Amino acid sequence: MLLDTSVLEVRYNSSRAEAEPLGNILAADGAAAQFALPAVKDIDAFEREVVEMVKPSHGTTTLGFIFQGGVIIAVDSRATMGSYISSQTVKKVIEINKYLLGTMAGGAADCQFWQRNLGTQCRLFELNNGKRITVRAASKLLSNTMFSYRGMGLSMGTMVAGWDPTGPGLYYVDSDGQRTKGQVFSVGSGSLYAYGVLDAGYSWDMSVDDAIELGRRSIYHATFRDCASGGTVSVYHVTEDGWKKVRGDDVTECHFEYYPDPSNHPSTGTPVI
Amino acid sequence: MSIFEYNGSAIIAMAGKDCVAIGSDLRFGVQLQTMTTDYKKVYQIHDKLFIGLGGLATDTQTLHQRLVMRHNLYKLREERDIKPSTFAALVSAIMYEKRFGPYFASPVIAGLEPDGSPYICGMDSIGATETAKDFIVTGTNSESLFGMCESMWRPELEQEELFEVISQCLLSGIDRDALAGWGAVVYVITKDKVVARTLKGRMD
Amino acid sequence: MDFFMGIKGKDFVLVCADTSAVHSIISIKQDEDKIIPVDTHKVFCIAGEAGDRVQFSEYIIANIKLYSLRNETGLSTKSVAHYTRGELATALRKSPYHCNLLVAGFDEGMGPSLYWLDYLATLHKVNTGGTGYGSYFALSLFDKMWHPDLSEDEAVAMMEAGIAEIKKRLVVAPPHYIIKVVDKNGVREVKKV
Repeated sequence: MLLDTSVLEVRYNSSRAEAEPLGNILAADGAAAQFALPAVKDIDAFEREVVEMVKPSHGTTTLGFIFQGGVIIAVDSRATMGSYISSQTVKKVIEINKYLLGTMAGGAADCQFWQRNLGTQCRLFELNNGKRITVRAASKLLSNTMFSYRGMGLSMGTMVAGWDPTGPGLYYVDSDGQRTKGQVFSVGSGSLYAYGVLDAGYSWDMSVDDAIELGRRSIYHATFRDCASGGTVSVYHVTEDGWKKVRGDDVTECHFEYYPDPSNHPSTGTPVI
Repeated sequence: MSIFEYNGSAIIAMAGKDCVAIGSDLRFGVQLQTMTTDYKKVYQIHDKLFIGLGGLATDTQTLHQRLVMRHNLYKLREERDIKPSTFAALVSAIMYEKRFGPYFASPVIAGLEPDGSPYICGMDSIGATETAKDFIVTGTNSESLFGMCESMWRPELEQEELFEVISQCLLSGIDRDALAGWGAVVYVITKDKVVARTLKGRMD
Repeated sequence: MDFFMGIKGKDFVLVCADTSAVHSIISIKQDEDKIIPVDTHKVFCIAGEAGDRVQFSEYIIANIKLYSLRNETGLSTKSVAHYTRGELATALRKSPYHCNLLVAGFDEGMGPSLYWLDYLATLHKVNTGGTGYGSYFALSLFDKMWHPDLSEDEAVAMMEAGIAEIKKRLVVAPPHYIIKVVDKNGVREVKKV
């Protein structure tokens, strides 16, 4: 069955004009949101128990890399609840502003909320300072937020990618508070498979078309082997003019495009009947 | 994760007018990792009898080997093929033998009785049989398979219609199952032939 | 963490295993050969707990040898694979052997074959396969590179690419590996990495 991918289309591609009010959960500086805490003595232990019940996490494959032509971000689009596929058309790239992208792995709600929160923080930075925030600073804002909620059961593995006056930027930020700059990252349950293809094909000097294809193919191979990843593969390309969504393909179509003859794939190579 | 979900499976058997169909997905995986996509879970016993074995792959393999042996012994003694209903009783007895340390398998039997009427039957891991006149499903996402079958099946399906219905049910059912899929195989059994077809499905 | 991979090519099977023997967090040996010859044209590539690995493979290999002496005929790779599965499956409900293996062999008239067998005794014929954390990194790469007419050089290059990836990405990557090939001339060591 072909997937209806209209939900994955880019809805707007300009910096957000206004920070929408988020009620009392967003403080004046945009950073510290306040949440009502449960009335328990040991909040860490309580959250460890609760996280098993509210686990909204999904298996994912996301990747990002920097090369001579900019930054490539590629993601799948599957969400699972246990072994049930709850959606094949999840949008896992969050468009923070015209020059910044975030990827989603882990808890969907945690990623969506905190990256939107990051969007408002970045916009406020722009208004306060009259210049765009760097990728470095933006990722630091997110990691600071994550660090302040450390041990409370947030689940988020993300890449913040973008372009600023210093050039292309790619940072890995997760809910443990880890933040690190890098050239090649892959995050999620299928990341091991993606790394296999990505590392073998990566080189700094590759052309833009080759880089886009490498991102797409790495995600495709991960969706084939990892059953918690699948749906579609979306590829974004970031340059000094901002990001652009360049591909959005159903991974099953990728499979039959790469392997029109099933005998050329090791796990379909033996005739079934 | 339940031991029944360790390898992943999806199986449907469906009855039609003087015909019966059975199909399975093709994935063989180990938890989240897909190892191969050419693993049929439906086995032929004789011209008019098939069995689908869902659940833990090692037990389905052991079970299949034992069933083949028992059917061969039956043939030597009786000099005829076993009736599907008799075979179901045999499978049930073999499953119950392991009452206190069961095979983690759920069999689905489909065949044509000597009078040409369709016979389908499902079973739990310790041999409780459940016969139906419409369809039987088992697998890691039986809810979705049931939902499809409930809405698509109707009585007196001719063989080509039956193939179409079981295929659509199987393919749509496994599209919502992370642990099954990667193509499917369907057998339609009629009084004078068996038609086997491989279905192209989603590969994620 | 034991690691091995196998690739079936046009007229050969290539297998690779790490050569570490470990106890707790200590590496006690770096040249343990986990690719064990069954007969002239078959190997077991076997990983698992140290005791189980040796006991099980020696038991199986001795019985295969006994069979060929009694009956004056050897067993095919398929027969060996199914016999091994049967023994592992019987043991599973008594006192399980905790070992995963690949059975690689070359049979006159039937060509090369590669069987994947896990500690639960699930047997499946494959074109590429492996176990351990390392297989996660290598399998996707093999999916991309494999084709049915694979030559030996191509397969060795594939295996080396897989090992390079594991060394790069796997925290607990073993330091040394051995690659062997099984073809019509028997079993041969290709190289150590």
